[in-house]
Amino acid sequence: MATRGEFLERIRREVRRAPGLFPASAAERPPRPGEAAAAARRQMAERWPEALERFRQEFERVNGVFHRVAGLDEVAGVIRDIAREKGARELVAWAPGELGLDLRPSLEPQGFSIAVAPTDARDDARQRHREAAARAPIGVTGADFALAETGTLILISGAGRPRSTSLLPETHVAVFDRERLLETLEQVGVMLEALHADAERSMSGGVISFITGPSRTADIELTLTRGVHGPKEVHAIFVGTR
Amino acid sequence: MTASSRFGERAAVALQDAHLQEALTIATTKFIGLRKDSFAGFPQGEGLRDQARAIKEATLQKLDHYLEQLADNVERLGGHVHWATTGDEARETILRLCRDRGVKMAVKSKSMATEEIELNEALERAGVTPIETDLGEYIIQLAHEKPSHIIAPAIHKTMGQVADLFSRELKERFAADPEVLTAAARKELRQKFLQADMGITGANFAVADTGTVVLVTNEGNGRMVTSLPRIHVAVMGIEKVIPSMTDLMVFLAILARSATGQKLSVYTTLVRGPRRSAEVDGPEEFHLILLDNGRSRQIAGALREALYCLRCGACLNVCPVYRQIGGHAYGETYPGPIGILLTAMLKGDRAVKDLAHASSLCGACQEVCPVGIDIPRMLIELRHRLDRERIAPLGERLMFGIFGRVLASPALFRLGAALGRLAQRPLVRDGRLRSLPLLFGRWTRSRDLPPLASRPFSKRWKDLA
Amino acid sequence: MKNQVRASLLVTCLVDLFYPEIGVAIVKLLRRLGVAVDFPPGQTCCGLPLFNSGYHDEAARVARRMIPIFSGSEHVVVPSGSCAWMIRKEYPGLVGGDPAVGSQARTLAERTHELSQFLVKVLGVTRLETDFRGRVTYHDSCHLLRGLGESQSPRTLLGGAPGVELVELPGADECCGFGGSFSVRLPEVSTSILDKKIANIEKTGAGCVVACDAGCLMQMSGGLGRKGSPVRALHLAQILAGSDLS
Repeated sequence: MATRGEFLERIRREVRRAPGLFPASAAERPPRPGEAAAAARRQMAERWPEALERFRQEFERVNGVFHRVAGLDEVAGVIRDIAREKGARELVAWAPGELGLDLRPSLEPQGFSIAVAPTDARDDARQRHREAAARAPIGVTGADFALAETGTLILISGAGRPRSTSLLPETHVAVFDRERLLETLEQVGVMLEALHADAERSMSGGVISFITGPSRTADIELTLTRGVHGPKEVHAIFVGTR
Repeated sequence: MTASSRFGERAAVALQDAHLQEALTIATTKFIGLRKDSFAGFPQGEGLRDQARAIKEATLQKLDHYLEQLADNVERLGGHVHWATTGDEARETILRLCRDRGVKMAVKSKSMATEEIELNEALERAGVTPIETDLGEYIIQLAHEKPSHIIAPAIHKTMGQVADLFSRELKERFAADPEVLTAAARKELRQKFLQADMGITGANFAVADTGTVVLVTNEGNGRMVTSLPRIHVAVMGIEKVIPSMTDLMVFLAILARSATGQKLSVYTTLVRGPRRSAEVDGPEEFHLILLDNGRSRQIAGALREALYCLRCGACLNVCPVYRQIGGHAYGETYPGPIGILLTAMLKGDRAVKDLAHASSLCGACQEVCPVGIDIPRMLIELRHRLDRERIAPLGERLMFGIFGRVLASPALFRLGAALGRLAQRPLVRDGRLRSLPLLFGRWTRSRDLPPLASRPFSKRWKDLA
Repeated sequence: MKNQVRASLLVTCLVDLFYPEIGVAIVKLLRRLGVAVDFPPGQTCCGLPLFNSGYHDEAARVARRMIPIFSGSEHVVVPSGSCAWMIRKEYPGLVGGDPAVGSQARTLAERTHELSQFLVKVLGVTRLETDFRGRVTYHDSCHLLRGLGESQSPRTLLGGAPGVELVELPGADECCGFGGSFSVRLPEVSTSILDKKIANIEKTGAGCVVACDAGCLMQMSGGLGRKGSPVRALHLAQILAGSDLS
C-alpha cells in the first residue's frame, strides 16, 4: 500500500513531465467571500419576489408542490391538510430551534404525533428518532437556501436537523422564508465559499444536501417513476407576505 | 484485417438481439433528445462547457497540489484518506476495514470506480454481502450481469425482463409495470439501508479547498448510503478532484444536463466527513480511497484529455456503434467511446487491440462531450500505437505498408488501378460488384460496390482540357 | 475587371477511380461560374485511410508526395469533406516539421476548400441554375459537418436550385457507417448503421440522397442498390451540374 508521500511524489513527477494541453485556469473565486455573500444577500433583499416566482415555477416543473402562507402561524394548518390528505398521523420534524417553529402545540391536540429531532444526540435518543423517521409518512424541515434557477432546496445537516427527516418519509415538507432565496447556482457557490471561509460555520454539519424535487428513476425502460428510495412528494411552504 | 475477434463476435450477437436493439434505440434516442432540449434552452451552456474543460486542464496541471489539499481537508473534518495505487490496494483497504469493523453487509450507491476494481466479487469472497441500491445496478446485480451503460446500467433490459427477474429473485409475482417494480425495489432495499454496516459510494467530484466529496444521484440511495450505515467509504479516481466550490458550480450547471437533460439531478450530496457528534444521522467513520490504477501515467501521456471525463454518458448515447451494439459487447467496465480510452488507460494498449477500431470516427462524441474531449483524435493515436508497438496483426501491418507504398507513388497507383479493372471484369453484374472474394467480400456481403471506372478521371481530364 | 479565379482540382482517390463523373461535373460547374480549372498531374490520395487506421508514417509519405503537386495553386477544390479535412486540419501537424514540405503544407491547408464551401464562401454563389429536377434529401458527412463545421453551404446550394425540392433528412447528422476501413473491419456494425440511414432516407420520399463525400456515397449507394431501391445517391456536384455533361 502506497504511503501518501509515495503516491503524491509519483503524481508530481508526471505533472512535471507534462506541458499541459493548453493554458488554463480554475474558476475565479470571490477574493472576500464574506463580503460577496453579504452583497448577494443585499441583492436578494430586493429581488426576492422575482426569485420566489421563479422558484415556484421550477419547483413545480420538477413536480414539487408549492404553498404560500402569510405567517408562521399558518404553517401548521398547511401541514395538517397535507397529513390528512395522506391519511398520516405521524410526523418527524427538525428541532423547533432549527425549524423556526414548534408544530407540537398546534398539531398534537389534533391527534398527530410529532417526533422532533433531539439536539443532544445521545445514543438512545438517536435510535428512537431514527425509528420515528423510518415510520413517519411525513418529514418537516427548514431549508438553508432555496435556489430559484432550478427549484432546489439546500439543507445543511447538523444538531437538531437530521438528514433522515428529508429522506426516509414518503412526503417531505420544507418551510422557508424570503431570506433563503437565491437566484443562481453561482450565488450558491458564493454562499458555500463564505460558509467554508468562516471557521466556525464551516464545521457545522456532515453533509449539505441539494434536493430538486421528489426522488426518481428512469432505469426501467427509461420510464420516469417517482419515489424510489427518497421521498415520493416534496412540498415547499413559503412563509411571507407579499 | 483480423480474423473474427471476440469483440466482433459479441458485436454480431448484439446485432441479432431484437430486444436489445429496440431497447437501445428507445433509450439512446430519448437521452439524445433530453440533452439537446436542455442545452437549447440554456445559452450559457457553451461558455460553461469551455470553462469546465479549462478547470479540468488547470487541475491536472497541479494535480498533486490539489490532492494534497483535499486529503488535508478531509482529515481536518475527521475523515481518513487512503492512497491506492492499484485496484488491488483499493480492494484490500476496503476488505481490511470490513474485517476490522465487523462489516457483514454493505450497501452501495452506483460507482463505476468500484466496478473497475471488481469490488463486489472481492467482498463476496470475503463473506461480506454487497447490495447494489441504484435501481439499474440492483437489477443487473439480481441478473448477475455487468452494467451496459455508464449512467443507466440496465438500459438493455425490457420491462418484462425486469418483472420476471424480480418475480424470480424476490419470490413474489410482479406485474410488468414500472411503478410496481420500483415500489418493490424501494421496499426491499429500505431494509438493507437500515441494517447495513457500511455504505460504499464513488464520487463525482471532490473539492480540494473544503475536503468535500460530491455525489450526484436521482433516487435517494446516495443519501441513504451516506447517512444510515455507521461507516461510509468513497472510492474516487484521482482525476475527480477540483479546486473549489466555485468550480463545483460550473460542473453542476452542466453535468445533469449532459447526462439526462435535467437542470440538476434530484440529489446533489456534499459529504463533509463523518457526522458531527451532535447529529442524529450520518456515519461515525468516513474513508476516502484515492484511486490511481493507471490514471497518473496519462498525465504526461497521450490519453491525458480522457482524464477530464465526467462520466455523464452523453458520448455513448450519440455513438453510432454503441447505439447498435450496446455496452456489453465492448466487454469492459466502461463501454462506448470514452470507454475505449478508459480501457486503454487502465489496462494498456493491448486491451484495445480490437476496440480501438470500434468507431467510424464520426466525431459525434466530441461534439456532445461537456468537457470537449477529442475522443476521435485519441482513438487514431491508439491505432497508431497498435501499429508502432506491433500489436496490430502482422498481416494487417504488411497490407497497410503495401497500400501506403502504392498511394505514395503515382505509377504504382495507376498500375494498381489497372490491375483492379482487369481483375473485376468477370465479377461485374449490372454495372455493380455484388460478390467479391477475400477482404472485399466483407463489403459485398451486405452492400453493392461500384466497379472501378473503365476510365478514371485522371485519364478523362485530357478530354476536358 | 475582376481577375479570373483559378482553382486546382484535387480529385481524391475515390472520385478518380470510382466516380470520375463527379470530377467531370465539378469541372463543368466551376467553368460555368467562370473559374479557370486545372488538374495538376501525379495525384493519388490524400492519405486519410492510412492516417485514420494509425499508419502515420505511411500517411506522411503520401502527404509529402501530394503537397508539392499543388505548390502553384491559388485555390484547391476537393469533392470530399474528409479529404479537405485531412489536408486542412491534419497535414500541418503530420508533416509541418518537414524541411522540404512543411511550410507548403500550411499554405496548402489554407488554400484547400471542400466544394460547397468553395462555391458559397469563396465564390459567393448561392443560387445555381440546374436542369436537375426532383425531391432530394441531404446527408451531412461527418468530417464536413464536425471536422470543418459545415452544414449550411450544401443546403444553401440545394435550396437555391429551382426545380430541386430539398427535404430535410431525419438524423441527417448521423453517421452513415462508412468510416473508411471501419466498413470492412466491422461490416455488420457498419451495415446496421447504414440500415438506419436508409430507413431515414426512405421516410423522406426523396428520389435522391445527396452528400459531399464519395465514401458516404459509396456506402449509401451500396446499401440502396443491394435493397433494389430506386433511390440514387449523388454528389452535390452532380445535382448542380445537372445533365450538362457534354
